[in-house]
Amino acid sequence: MDDHCGVNGLAWLEEQPRALGWIQSVSGPPLVPRRTRNLVRLGLLEKPLWLDVYAALPPLREPVYRVPRPRHGGARDPIAPIFYREDSVRARFYKVYGNGPRPFDLTQLNFKSTCQRFVEKYNELKEEGKIEEEKLFEETGKALLASGILLQRRGVDKVAQQEQQGAGSRDPALQLQLQMVLEELQEKRKDGKEQPPELAGAQKENPCPS
Amino acid sequence: RPRQPAGPAVSAACTPAEDDKLLTEPLSHPDFFSVKELFTLKDLFDARVHLGHKKGCRHRFMEPYIFGCRLDQDIIDLDQTMQHLQLALNFTAHVAYRGGIILFVSRKRQFCHLVESTARACGEYAHTRYWQGGLLTNAHVQFGPGVRLPDLLVFLSTLNNVFEPHVAIRDAAKMNIPTVGVVDTNCNPCLITYPIPGNDDSPAAVELYCKLFRMTIIRAKDKRRHMPLLQFHGTGSASRAPALGTAGWLGKGPPSPVHGDPTAVTAVEGL
Repeated sequence: MDDHCGVNGLAWLEEQPRALGWIQSVSGPPLVPRRTRNLVRLGLLEKPLWLDVYAALPPLREPVYRVPRPRHGGARDPIAPIFYREDSVRARFYKVYGNGPRPFDLTQLNFKSTCQRFVEKYNELKEEGKIEEEKLFEETGKALLASGILLQRRGVDKVAQQEQQGAGSRDPALQLQLQMVLEELQEKRKDGKEQPPELAGAQKENPCPS
Repeated sequence: RPRQPAGPAVSAACTPAEDDKLLTEPLSHPDFFSVKELFTLKDLFDARVHLGHKKGCRHRFMEPYIFGCRLDQDIIDLDQTMQHLQLALNFTAHVAYRGGIILFVSRKRQFCHLVESTARACGEYAHTRYWQGGLLTNAHVQFGPGVRLPDLLVFLSTLNNVFEPHVAIRDAAKMNIPTVGVVDTNCNPCLITYPIPGNDDSPAAVELYCKLFRMTIIRAKDKRRHMPLLQFHGTGSASRAPALGTAGWLGKGPPSPVHGDPTAVTAVEGL
């Protein structure tokens, strides 16, 4: 039988171990798909024109069907999450300032967001080493302000709540006075309940003077 | 619509030995069509080929091709993509060089027109509509006897409208037709002969793929048109220049359909 299979000839085909469906062949992927090769050898299929090309330039993995089964045991995710050292700075930036004043323009390939500038400034100041770790964040904010980027702290509601709580604690004397007034009012209400009929009638007439 | 194959009468001027050399010589080079210079890693990155779907959509068999997971979004390893893309484009080029029929398949409505126009530009075929059950497996009933099936299927997206694997992948594997396909992180790359791990949802990425396939196929066909002339020029026997048909390429008759009936071949259809 004429065979034009590949550059090496057909001799190596006889040496191919019969691969079981669920085990990849130990010697590496066969140079030609097994089913096609067998059909051509038996004469049931005309030799397709891609066979030589496949034999000369095989893929990295043989296209064999595998049953997709879920992982057993504990969920072991083999893919590592990608994190950088600057992510801690970025997280703090977003928490404090929100998205930043300038929207992201993804149409430009080398677009630098406010957060990215912040991170770069932070790294610069960190490398200089003159500022302490705790104050680095605020100093970066000030440096960016100096270069013209206005950063607004997010969460105005939270700030207002803090102010209210602060107002309550500022005047304890006022609070004591209010408490005394409240107690007097409660006593007066108790006295009022002990003498219901006269006062009730008097009170009922009062709201409608006309 | 099936293309009429080139008849053997056209290559009468070439001896079988020269024809053989025409076909086997490109296989001895690892990159005969210089497919590597068509794209760089930066091109892939700029076209956002590395962006995959979210972690929950990940297919288990795509894990080897994924670089990592950034805030729950999978990032595809572009070094591997470069390798796979080079192999896939090389294979496509060789198939086109040998006069194979290439069918572009994509079920993404967003890119249906782009895929069809790419196919038209190459002189090849596209199928971006609903895939009827027996198009490959029952071709003789669907189209009539003596139909020539495609020699390569190129998937710009391996999923269909309901995010299941496209039926054509399984059918091509049944019919011994090799497949080249762009597999995203939610696709199954098992049955695809030459998978290309990459993004199949961004317009930039799909335009890049279409451009690359179009350039490789046109390059391969041009090479095929000029190879015999170069060979003859080299050997010095210019008088034996072969007759070029209107199809623009020269070749042996392609293999007849699967059940072995040789069909009567008359016209050579142009691109």
